[in-house]
Amino acid sequence: MTRTTSPERSRRIAAATALALAAALALGACGSSSPGPAGQQAAVVRTSGDSPYQGTTLTQPFRKPDLVLTDTAGKRFSLREQTAGKPVLLYFGYTSCPDVCPTTMGDIAVAMQKLPAAERDKVQVVFVSTDPRRDTPQRLRSWLASFDSRFIGLTGDLEQVKKAAKPLGILVEDPVVNKDGSVTSTHGAQVLAFLPSDDRAHILYLSQSSVQVFTHDLPLLAKGVQP
Amino acid sequence: MIRPRAVTAVAAGAAALALAGCGSTASPESSSGGAAARISVSDPYIPLPPSPDAAAGYLTLHNSGGSADRLLRVASPDARSVTMHRSTTASMEPLESLTVPAHGSAAFSRGADHLMIMGLDDRPRVGRTVELDLTFAASGTITVKVPIQPVAYRPPGAGN
Repeated sequence: MTRTTSPERSRRIAAATALALAAALALGACGSSSPGPAGQQAAVVRTSGDSPYQGTTLTQPFRKPDLVLTDTAGKRFSLREQTAGKPVLLYFGYTSCPDVCPTTMGDIAVAMQKLPAAERDKVQVVFVSTDPRRDTPQRLRSWLASFDSRFIGLTGDLEQVKKAAKPLGILVEDPVVNKDGSVTSTHGAQVLAFLPSDDRAHILYLSQSSVQVFTHDLPLLAKGVQP
Repeated sequence: MIRPRAVTAVAAGAAALALAGCGSTASPESSSGGAAARISVSDPYIPLPPSPDAAAGYLTLHNSGGSADRLLRVASPDARSVTMHRSTTASMEPLESLTVPAHGSAAFSRGADHLMIMGLDDRPRVGRTVELDLTFAASGTITVKVPIQPVAYRPPGAGN
């Protein structure tokens, strides 16, 4: 509720959240709030507050996945080749998603608007569809244009998407068509930030990260500041 | 906030709360002794949907009465369907009802419990309103006109 959260306090909150996330990941189930045993996952995130970023620092950065899909212009897009040496925010989601996906993309768009133009042009925001059957390049393009026409949308082979998401700790499952015609896709809703220096994800933003966190961190990411 | 004549109701409501407990699925709205639920709605909005077939609705429900109430269903003459959902770690699940505790509030908010609005009649645009009819177990149906806001809108004071 308070608008005057200090950076130090935010980092502590982020660290606590990261621990909770690690516990949830280790348990492989959602909804648990009890801290799990200190397993492998718990070692992945840094809990000290010495990072300039407010997002969660990954002590074992993730390699950028080798995703080759179709972009919103219908052209082949290789994530590794075409975003090499650039700061990248990567998100997996789907366009029939009413709540979490538009909220996350909207928050990133607001933070991007606050960047100076030169930095804004450096940061690549990549949205990978977890419902490629319905998310055609055209549909992705119009959906992403609601937020920022520079956002990159990728769609294609779901098996490849699942395989790419897994080592990033992001769960992607086959979408389900409900009785009322709506589509539900299970997809980890965290955002990963890849640094331009080594093309690895060093920062993780949990679903529900605030606009303020993205606004704080994007200038650092654009400059390639190390966590 | 507290009206003078509501003092006794507060005490009764506290007792009802204590009995109802956290996460109870009992129907405290039918418990005897508590003053009736009194529901109001604040900060309703629908972010301009980036996809015409899946919009979300957010609002806060306040209950100034001494009994809890439950939102059972939501309908709209302006949409094909409105359903309650809860966003989970990696997905979302249908929500059967939403309890508004006595002298408390409950909210549909971003990334959490939300209304999924499918098939909005007209091409939605900022400034239009969408009617939502909220039907409660005890309080009957409350109709709200919900404004469509920009895609990244958050109500003032929403924290994040």
